[in-house]
Amino acid sequence: MPGFIEGMMPVQLLAEILLIIVIFVLGAMILDKKMGIRIPMLLQAALVFIAGWWYYKFRIEPPLPFSVRAIYQVMIAIGIFMWVSSAEKGWTEFKRPILAVLDAKTPLTWWVRAVLLVVLPLSASGMAYKNLLPSLGEPIELRTVHPAPPAAVTVHGKKFPLQTSESPVRVDESGEYSNHIQDAHVMDNPFDPDSIQYMQNVKEGGDIFFQNCHFCHGDNLNGRGLYAYAFNPIPANFTDPGTLAQLQETFVFWRVAKGGPGLPREGFPWASAMPPWEQHLTTEEIWKVILFEYWHTKYPPRTWDE
Amino acid sequence: MKRLFEGRMRNKQLLSWLAVGVLVGALLLPLVISIPLLAEEFEDAALEQAAFAEETLGEDVPAQEIGYDVHYGDEGIVQGPPAPVTSDNENDYPRYNFESRVIIWVANQQHLYYGSFVLAVPIFVMIIEFIGMVTKDRAMAQKYDTLAYDFIKISITAYSITAILGGVLVFTFMILYPAFWTYMTKIFHPAMHIYVLLFLAESGTLYIYYYGWDAMREGLLKWVHLSMAVFLNVFGTVLMMLANSWATFMMSPAGVDAEGQYLGNIWLAVHNHLWNPVNIHRILGNMVFGGGIVAAYAAYRFLSAKNDEERAHYDWMGYVAMFIAVAFLIPLPFAGYYLMREVYAYRQQMGITLMGGLLAWLFIIQAVLIGALFLTTNYYLWQGMERMRGAERYQKYIKYMTFVLIVCFLVWLTPHTMVMTPTELKEMGGQQHPVVGNYGVMSAKNGAVNIIITTTVLSFLLYQRCNKIPTVPWARYGNIALWALFSVAFVNIIWLAIYGYYIPANVRVGLSVPQVVSTLSCLFIGMTINLFMMRGAKPTGPVEWGKISVRSQYALFMLATSFTWMMGLMGYIRSSVRLHWHVNEIMRDNSPWAFTHTIGFAANMISFNVLFFWVTLLFVFWLGSLGTKKAVVEKGRAAPVAALAPSTN
Ligand code: HEC
Repeated sequence: MPGFIEGMMPVQLLAEILLIIVIFVLGAMILDKKMGIRIPMLLQAALVFIAGWWYYKFRIEPPLPFSVRAIYQVMIAIGIFMWVSSAEKGWTEFKRPILAVLDAKTPLTWWVRAVLLVVLPLSASGMAYKNLLPSLGEPIELRTVHPAPPAAVTVHGKKFPLQTSESPVRVDESGEYSNHIQDAHVMDNPFDPDSIQYMQNVKEGGDIFFQNCHFCHGDNLNGRGLYAYAFNPIPANFTDPGTLAQLQETFVFWRVAKGGPGLPREGFPWASAMPPWEQHLTTEEIWKVILFEYWHTKYPPRTWDE
Repeated sequence: MKRLFEGRMRNKQLLSWLAVGVLVGALLLPLVISIPLLAEEFEDAALEQAAFAEETLGEDVPAQEIGYDVHYGDEGIVQGPPAPVTSDNENDYPRYNFESRVIIWVANQQHLYYGSFVLAVPIFVMIIEFIGMVTKDRAMAQKYDTLAYDFIKISITAYSITAILGGVLVFTFMILYPAFWTYMTKIFHPAMHIYVLLFLAESGTLYIYYYGWDAMREGLLKWVHLSMAVFLNVFGTVLMMLANSWATFMMSPAGVDAEGQYLGNIWLAVHNHLWNPVNIHRILGNMVFGGGIVAAYAAYRFLSAKNDEERAHYDWMGYVAMFIAVAFLIPLPFAGYYLMREVYAYRQQMGITLMGGLLAWLFIIQAVLIGALFLTTNYYLWQGMERMRGAERYQKYIKYMTFVLIVCFLVWLTPHTMVMTPTELKEMGGQQHPVVGNYGVMSAKNGAVNIIITTTVLSFLLYQRCNKIPTVPWARYGNIALWALFSVAFVNIIWLAIYGYYIPANVRVGLSVPQVVSTLSCLFIGMTINLFMMRGAKPTGPVEWGKISVRSQYALFMLATSFTWMMGLMGYIRSSVRLHWHVNEIMRDNSPWAFTHTIGFAANMISFNVLFFWVTLLFVFWLGSLGTKKAVVEKGRAAPVAALAPSTN
């Protein structure tokens, strides 16, 4: 089976689900109209449920965590219920075999009932056994990835209020802070010696990044550096829209300066390997490496008042 | 003779329009108080006074201390003590052998539940009474009037419970948090007095309104009666806005200096940064909540009905209430978005605590609940199709709409940060899943929720058409237009959602505007086209009220409980975002309970509140049914035709 195409993945997934459903509906229609075979409602429902389970369990790579699959499967079950019970006719048809198993008196239903009476308690006890079995895995930790920052940070003796501070290196030609300078220069060559101050800052930030950060955060800034998998939590992936892109630059400044040890109380479980860079870099270097990270990922920092 | 009659008709019409004008004017009244101009006047007056005092008294008086507003930065004369610095002892925090915060939590939540219910019901009682008055069809008009009366009847018991709970709340504050309470009253005492007076006015109006219903049935008196509903709502809204100002003062204080010293301008304290966003959000939320509760009441009466007439009446009532709830549910997310934006603008820290930090997990629960609301709404509408002959034409689309809804919910519910064991984390190779993780971001969610709303609108359109075949000559083109409208909207929303991945966050925020425009144009243009198409349409049969499945009524319960749970949840989030502050950055909470509870504990507390509320509410319902039993049966007998007539809705 072909895999997921890089860059198209979310759309591809939806398209595949759509395709499965179309095949399903068409198949049922052809069977019904052309060959006169009507698939019972209950069986249809079961098929959809199993198809959904199969898709999320085996088609998606890398495997999804159980919690997510559980959410999906419950949603699918709800959808199936809404569909079969939307009109009285379908609902009666859907219930019929179930009710029959419960109280009809034909030999077939008797057998089904008997089998169920044995299988259901057995599988329930199997599940209970599995749940109670002590497992060697580490327990789940709900990590707060972006805890609320303090109102201000003090770095190298200077106080930066996060609400109002601005990056001193994100400057336009006139040396003023600019929100738009990055957009205008994302395609520029940082190694061009004649480039503007902003691009030179980016270049210096890049140097700092490759001297200090890329071992963990990766040379593509995607969080897959050489050492990345040795850590839990693993280093942040800056290309993911959920990290840099949704943070204000001052928030990132605080995180880089203070690192894992500087996480506030709610930043549970405080096990981050991110070093507190104020011990190794100057304030300006910190701003520059952040400038580089934004420039490289093409995300502008989050701003609110514009 | 005929002339005279016509003249009288015209007079009557004139009078009606006048009355409507007064209504609208009175409704807009609360908005007037939020005009900041007033504030300046206040302030100028205060400063003038100070200057005057200085001038006349010369050097003899000690110089007055000047302070600067923490939020607005304005200068003002210090007029109150600084916020008290409390410590963990029996004086500042008297206590029972129990967590005081949990007690105040329950007291607050119960008061809020009942409060929002009794604020919301008069709003739609007013609307329904008005609709009844302008409806030409006598039988229908009578039906609307009875319905409005039914609504207000439920809220009257709830009203006294609200008052009692309000008392309980105030005493709980005074007893358990005296230092905090004293500080608040020092600042807000003028507003609190107005509050009490308004409350009296509201009670008076409510009782006359309710008990005068029959006496003021006809002619002009009926208009007077309706205008009372308007006043009721004006009082209620102002009441709520005053109470909101205290809650929002605690989140985003203003009108005091950095030490918490009051600067003499009550307006600034009331009109703090988050006041208006919360006002709007709460008004809409109350409407949804009120509609949900009345719908649940109707469902309860439907399920316990003894005959077809009762069943028909309560089926209809449930439908109308559900309709109101959903009508206000649709703009609610936008109001929520505005509130969140303002929170971020006020303090990034607070925004992150809510959406990305400590409380973010609770937002996932909220997403689930929103999902439940929309799914249930659609489900109810589909069930409602059963009571119309001719619905088969549209029922076959249900499965496709279910599919669309469910797929959107799969996207909507995909968490950005997934809950997983470390083993799963290593297998996945990162916090974000490369395929599914893409659904965790804003762009996908916006697309999904807009499609969900649009599909809900579609369900509603189909529902309206179920028992009618359009006869207007342009019906064909109308259908084509509707098809085109919805297709373009779907394509537009999906396309923008995909496109959103490739552009930066601050531009992406702008994308949500065209998406919302698509959704809203489906709502308004679609509804309008449909309405005109259905003019003089050939009915395929009446709406057979009462012939709806039992499942639909459970759906109404589900709707109401989801609202209740969501309200408890969001209220908790809004309140606990202050973390260890009584008044954010001004008065610290030094009680032993100034920590954030675990998610599990919070969820249990919310469930407890919901359960408690519903049990007491069942009691209210039961009381309501004691009084109505006879009346409804009689009215039902008087107008059995009316009860079965097709509705215009
Ligand atoms: C030892 C490995 C390591 C190195 C070296 C390292 N980081 Fe990190 N970094 C991490 C880990 C692990 C995390 C995720 C946990 C956390 O948020 O603290 C992280 C998180 C971050 C975050 C937070 C992103 C977010 O979404 O909150 C930023 C910003 C960051 N790193 C920047 C840097 C910069 C800049 C450098 C180089 C100057 C650097 N890191 C070097 C391990 C490292």
